[in-house]
Amino acid sequence: MIAEHGVRIWAALARRRRGLAKGWYKYSRNSLSVLGLVVLVLIGLTAGLAPYIAPYPEHAAAYTNFREAGLPPSKDHLFGTDRVGRDVLSRVIFGYRFSLLLGIVVLSLAVPSGVVLGLLGGYYNGTWIEVLIMRITDVFLAVPPLVLAMSIAAMLTPNLFNAMIAISLSWWPWYCRLVYSVTASLRNQFFVREAELTGASRMHILFKEILPNCFGPIMTKVTLDMGIAILMGASLSFIGLGAQPPTPDLGTMLADGAKRLPSEWWSTIFPALAIVMVILAFNLVGDGLRDVFAVEEV
Amino acid sequence: MGMTSLLEIRGLHVGFKIFDGLLKVLAGVELAIGEGERVGLVGETGCGKTTTVKSVLRVLPIPPARLDGGEILYRAQDILKMKPREVRHLRRTELTAIFQDPLQALNPVFTVGTQLRDIVLDSLAAAGQRLTRKEITARCVQALAETGMPDPERIMSNYPIQLSGGMRQRVCIAEALIKSAKLLLADEPTTNLDVTIQDQILRKLDELVEEKGMSVLMITHSLGVVMDLTERVYIMYAGTIVEEGRTEELFARPLHPYTQGLMKSVPKLTGEGISKGIAGRIPNYLEPPSGCRFHPRCEHAMPICEEERPPLFSTGVNRRVACFLYQRS
Amino acid sequence: MAKYIALRLGQSIFVLFGLSLLIFFIARVVPGDPARVALGNLATEEQVQKLRAEMHLDRPFAVQYYYWLKSMLRGDLGKSLYTQRPVTTDLRQYIPATLELILFATLISLVFGQVTGVLAGYFRNSWFDNLSRLASYLGVATPSFVVAILLLFIFSQLLKLAPSVGRLPLMVKAPPTVTGFMIIDSLLAGRPDLTLLALKHLVLPAFSLAVIHIAQEGRITRSSLIENVQKDYIIAHEVHGIRPTKLVFKYLLKPSIIPTVTVMGLDFAFLMSNAFLVELVFFWPGFARYAVNAMLSKDLNAIVAVVLVIGVTFALVNLVVDTIITFLDPAIRIQRRGG
Repeated sequence: MIAEHGVRIWAALARRRRGLAKGWYKYSRNSLSVLGLVVLVLIGLTAGLAPYIAPYPEHAAAYTNFREAGLPPSKDHLFGTDRVGRDVLSRVIFGYRFSLLLGIVVLSLAVPSGVVLGLLGGYYNGTWIEVLIMRITDVFLAVPPLVLAMSIAAMLTPNLFNAMIAISLSWWPWYCRLVYSVTASLRNQFFVREAELTGASRMHILFKEILPNCFGPIMTKVTLDMGIAILMGASLSFIGLGAQPPTPDLGTMLADGAKRLPSEWWSTIFPALAIVMVILAFNLVGDGLRDVFAVEEV
Repeated sequence: MGMTSLLEIRGLHVGFKIFDGLLKVLAGVELAIGEGERVGLVGETGCGKTTTVKSVLRVLPIPPARLDGGEILYRAQDILKMKPREVRHLRRTELTAIFQDPLQALNPVFTVGTQLRDIVLDSLAAAGQRLTRKEITARCVQALAETGMPDPERIMSNYPIQLSGGMRQRVCIAEALIKSAKLLLADEPTTNLDVTIQDQILRKLDELVEEKGMSVLMITHSLGVVMDLTERVYIMYAGTIVEEGRTEELFARPLHPYTQGLMKSVPKLTGEGISKGIAGRIPNYLEPPSGCRFHPRCEHAMPICEEERPPLFSTGVNRRVACFLYQRS
Repeated sequence: MAKYIALRLGQSIFVLFGLSLLIFFIARVVPGDPARVALGNLATEEQVQKLRAEMHLDRPFAVQYYYWLKSMLRGDLGKSLYTQRPVTTDLRQYIPATLELILFATLISLVFGQVTGVLAGYFRNSWFDNLSRLASYLGVATPSFVVAILLLFIFSQLLKLAPSVGRLPLMVKAPPTVTGFMIIDSLLAGRPDLTLLALKHLVLPAFSLAVIHIAQEGRITRSSLIENVQKDYIIAHEVHGIRPTKLVFKYLLKPSIIPTVTVMGLDFAFLMSNAFLVELVFFWPGFARYAVNAMLSKDLNAIVAVVLVIGVTFALVNLVVDTIITFLDPAIRIQRRGG
C-alpha cells in the first residue's frame, strides 16, 4: 500500500520533471530567449546585491559632492557622475532595485485581483455578476493604461509607492479580461460540468479545475508585462508623478540628466540604456515562454 | 499513347530541401497526355501526385523545393525552361487547374464575381481581346451556371464563406473552365466534400470537359473515380510511375505487384482505404529504398530489385510496367 | 451596420460616464483636500473654503458629481485652476498641436511600417529582414521618451540637423490660427517657408512616437504576408493567370493587412500615452503637456476633462478601426449583419 503510494508520487514527480525538460527544450530553441534569461538573472543579482556591488552605495541617496559634479566616465566612475557629484553607475544599480520592486509589487497587486475577478466573471457568465464585473472592467479600459495611471497618480501624493498603486489600478482589467475569456470558454466544458455534478465546491471548480488552464497565458503575459510595468513606472517618474528625487529611479535620473544634454551625456545615456536593457530582457523571456505555452495559449 | 502528346513529362526529379537533408520525392516521373485525352493519376496520399501537378503549373515553392532534372513538355516546349512571362501566357490560355480543398482555394476577402472577372480580364488580355464590363459579367454568370450552380447572379456578389463546400467547388470549377484552356489538372477535386456531392460534381465536371473537348489529368486516390472518368491511367508509387495502361485493361489485369495490392485492398463498394491491402508504408523520402522503391514491401522481390531501378517495360499497346517480373530477355 | 455603430456609441457613452465617475470618486477618496492642494500652503483658510464651495466639495459626492454633469452637458467643463481659464478654452487651444503631432506620427508609422513589412516579407531571412527583426525588438523595448531624448541628442544637439524644441523658432511669428495645424495654417497664410519650418520641428517628435509602431506594424505585416503567400488561394490566383502586380497588391495585400489594422486602435492608444512624454521632451505646446501640468498641479477639472477627451478619442478611433475591419473582412461584416 505504502509502496504503491510511493510509486505514484515518484511517477508524478518524473512526469513533472519531463514536463519541465520539455519546456526548457522548447524555450532554449530560441537563443535570444536564453540570452534574455541570462541578462535578466544578471540584472536580478545586481539589484539584489546592490549594496555590495555598487562602488558608492551612499550615492544612491541624497548625497552631494560638488567637487566631483559632472565628471565624464573614468576609472573611478565608469558611468561618470551626475550634476551633484553622485556616481551614475551606483545609482543605475540601485535604480534596478526600484524598477524590479515596482514591477513585482504592481503585478502582485494587479494579477491576483484581475484573475479572481476574471474567474468570477467567466464562471457566472450571463448573470448580473458578470455584467457588473465586465462593465467596470470596460470603464478602466476606456483610456490607455498610462493615461489612467497618470491621472490616478496625480491625485495621490507623487511618490514611488503611490505610482505602484496607480499602475496596479490601471493594470488589473487586462488580466480580468484575459482570464474571463478563457473561463467563459471553459465554462461549459465537460470537466467543469462533471465537477459540478459530483458536487465539488465553487472554490474547487474555480481554482482547481479552471484556473490551471489559464496558467500558460497568464505566465506569458506576466513576463511581458513586467517590462511594460517597469516602463510605465519610469514614465511616471520621468513626468514627475512617480518616484521623487533623491530616489535613484531610472526615470527620474533620465528626466534629471536630460536637462544636462548634450554636454553631460553620460548621466542620461547610461540610465536610458539600463531601462532599454531590462525591458528588452523581459520581452525576450516573455517571447520564449510564449513558445513554451504555445499550445495552451488562447 | 497517341502520336500527338499535349503534355509530356520526362524523367522528372524533384526534391525538397529540409533541415534533415534532401527529400527525394519525385524520382523520374514519366507521363503523357494526348490531345483530348482523359488520364488518371492514382496513388496513395504522399506519393508525389500534388508535387507533379505543381511542377507542371510551375508553382512549386523554390526553395525548399528543387528541380533535379527532367523536362515537362507542353506542345514540345519545356515549361521548366520558360520565362515567367511565357508561363503566365500559358496559364492564361492553355493550362488550368482545380485544387483539392475548395475551402482554401478561394480568396476569403473578395467576392466570387471579383475573382472570376479578374481571371476573364487577364485571359482576354492574353488573347488580345476586349469585352465590355457587361459582357465579362455575363460570361462569369454563364460559367457559374454551367457548373450547375443555382442562382448564379446572386452568387457573383457572395463571399466564399457564404457558400457551402459543394458550391465553393463549383466556383473553383467555373474559375478553372472560364478561360477556355486546353488542359485541366484536377488535383483530387472532391476529396473534401460529402460523398453525394462528390458524385454530382464529378459528373458535372466530366460533362463540361467533354463538351469543351479538353484534356484532363485527374489526380486521385479513389479508384472508382478513375474507372468512371478516364480513358488511360498511371499508377504512382513513392514518386515513380509503376504502371500505365488503358483504364479498363489495367483494372481488369493489373501487372505491377503494387497495383495488384491496390486493387485487392479496395472494398468492393466504397472505394476507400486503399493502403490496407499492402504490408508496410510509403518509404521515407530522405533515404528511399535503392533500386525499385517498392521492393521492401513486395512479395515477389528479387535480388535485382534491390540493385537496379526497373525501367518501364512495354507489355503491349499503351501498356507499360516498371517491374522486373515483366522483363523480356 | 448602422445598428451596430449605434450600439457601440451607446456603450461608449455609458463607459465614459463611468470613467468620469471613477475619476471623481478617486479624487474624493484620496486623503487630503483638493482645494487646499490646488491653492497651495500659502492660501488662507477663507480662500480654501471659497474654492471648496465653488467646487461643491462641501456637499456630498453625489451632489458634486451632479453639478459637474449638469454643466458638462451644457458644454462647460469648469475652470482650470492651473491656467485660471475655462477648461474648454484650454482644450481648444492645445488639442490641435497634439493632433497634428499624432496624425503625422501615425502617417509615418503606417508608411514606414508597411514598406518595412512588405520588404522584410519579400526578402525573407535577408540582412534587411534580420535588421528589421532586431529593430523591432529594440523598438518595442525602448520607451518613447528614451527615443525622444536620443533623437534630440543625436540629430538636434550633436549633428544640428533639426531644431530642438517647440513648433516654430522662438523669433518667428506664428500664422493666424485657423485649423490649429501649423502646417496648414502657414499655407493658408501664404507662408510656405513657415510650413517647411513647422515640418522640420515636427519630424523628430513624430519619429520618436512612430518608432515603436514602425517596428511592430512591420513585423505583423511581414508575418501575415508570409503566411498568406503559401495559401492555396494565392497559388490558385497565380495558376489562373492573374498578373503579378494585381496578385500582390490586390489579392495578397488585402487579406494580409487585416491584422495590422486590427492593432491600430491599440497603437493609437500608445501614441496618445507616449505623446505625454514626447511633448515634455520637445517642449511641444500641446494637449499632453497641458495635461501633465494640470496633473502636477492637481487641477481636478482639467484632469477629468483630459481623461474624457482621451476616452472619447480612443472610443472613436476604435469605432473607425472596427468599421475599416468590417469593410476589409467580409466574414465579420456578414456576422454583424446577421447578428
